[in-house]
Amino acid sequence: MNSGIIDISAGNLLLAFIFIFIAQASSFIYHLGLNRDITVGALRTFAQLFLMGYVLTFILGSESLLLTVAVFAVMVISAMFIVRGRVKEKQVSYFMPTLLTMLVTYFATAVFVSGLIVGTTPWWEPRYFIPTAGMVIGNSMSAIAIALERLFRDLRQQRELVEMKLSLGANYREASDEVFRNAVTAGMIPSINAMMGVGLVFIPGMMSGQILSGTDPLIAIRYQIVVMFMLVGSTAITSIIVMLIVRKRCFGSGEEVLLTPR
Amino acid sequence: MPLLEIRDLDYAWPAAGMPVFDRLDMTVSEGAFILVRGASGSGKSTLLRLICRLNQPQSGTIFFRGRNIASILPSVLRSMISYVAQIPQMVDATVAENLLLPFSFSANSSKTVPEEQELARMLGDFYLDTVSLSQSALKLSTGQKQRLAIMRAILQHPELLLLDEPTSALDPESAAMVFSIMEHLNREQKTTIMCVTHSDYRPATLAAQTFRIENRQLILNAP
Repeated sequence: MNSGIIDISAGNLLLAFIFIFIAQASSFIYHLGLNRDITVGALRTFAQLFLMGYVLTFILGSESLLLTVAVFAVMVISAMFIVRGRVKEKQVSYFMPTLLTMLVTYFATAVFVSGLIVGTTPWWEPRYFIPTAGMVIGNSMSAIAIALERLFRDLRQQRELVEMKLSLGANYREASDEVFRNAVTAGMIPSINAMMGVGLVFIPGMMSGQILSGTDPLIAIRYQIVVMFMLVGSTAITSIIVMLIVRKRCFGSGEEVLLTPR
Repeated sequence: MPLLEIRDLDYAWPAAGMPVFDRLDMTVSEGAFILVRGASGSGKSTLLRLICRLNQPQSGTIFFRGRNIASILPSVLRSMISYVAQIPQMVDATVAENLLLPFSFSANSSKTVPEEQELARMLGDFYLDTVSLSQSALKLSTGQKQRLAIMRAILQHPELLLLDEPTSALDPESAAMVFSIMEHLNREQKTTIMCVTHSDYRPATLAAQTFRIENRQLILNAP
């Protein structure tokens, strides 16, 4: 058995574009209107991953704490802009509290996993820290976007019900308890479902990558178990903190609902 | 000391910036029965919402028992001032659970939770004899929900009861019954009531005052 990974030549890499042509042809034949998006998506995948490859090669070789943390910060800030692109809310500002929560919780998670569970020395060893942070950010970012969208939508739709509870003496937490729980749950369900299906329905990307690069599958599964647990935990804590802060911002000084119907 | 005092209240719709009240003043004595009338969009509901802080004024002050309401914890204020909206809202639970909902909130923790017999008796008082405490509140008609919402507010024994068009979804007989319960509540339990209404109802109680909102001001003893 070959213990090293087989390199993909430039020519063979181009062969992968056949899959893009298949997608383009499908869109063209069935008038799906996706040709432009597929082209842009393919080019962005190609460019962004090549850029990431060179950046990672540079960072992994640099052994610099400052650079590692800077890359982490750029990743989180980029994730926050993606969240903002999805959550179109104008009446309540959520950008800064969400960004700060993401920075703190993702950093703590990455330090815990990289430095304590994997036991790298130093704790910020870029080869472990950056991919770990990347997985946390990518997964939790979607959860936060889903939870925020749900929180704003439900508070708007159930405004009269929330106001009824407020009118009867509820504080804003009691009045919006159900909306809060539904928002956090909606954000967490994909991570929980992933735990249910892993190893049965799909082989996760990280584990696949490790196996492809020659790692013993029994070691790869340990990493994957840590990753799955880390994703659920970090998603839960980040979603809950963000929802607690943003929910408070949805209410005014008189604990009145600030979100008005659109 | 009046129960409620409104001084120099300015309010404009947040989005449109249209002024609703311009330096509005109002004094409500304890035990009063206030009717507020006015054209649609004149700000009748907004006035009630401002008193229980569901809306915030641009300027001016509202005092409740001499205290600026902005200095009272909102949930504590709303445990003393109950507001019943025009469109009744029920949670997805039984009639009994809906009636007892306010007692699950921390601001009402010191209030005595009514017994089931009291709830059943009150259902009869509100012409809701056919309604069972164990049935789903969401399946009731709008008129039944409206009476249940008033009943839920009364169960808390508020010091000030704000009612927004409480009879808008009721037939004349049920509406007369609701007004008679309000008068009874005002007369026997000394509950101060402020009611926004379009109906021609004239309360028999001596404590009654009628206001009309005109030109962003309240006019007393209006027809």
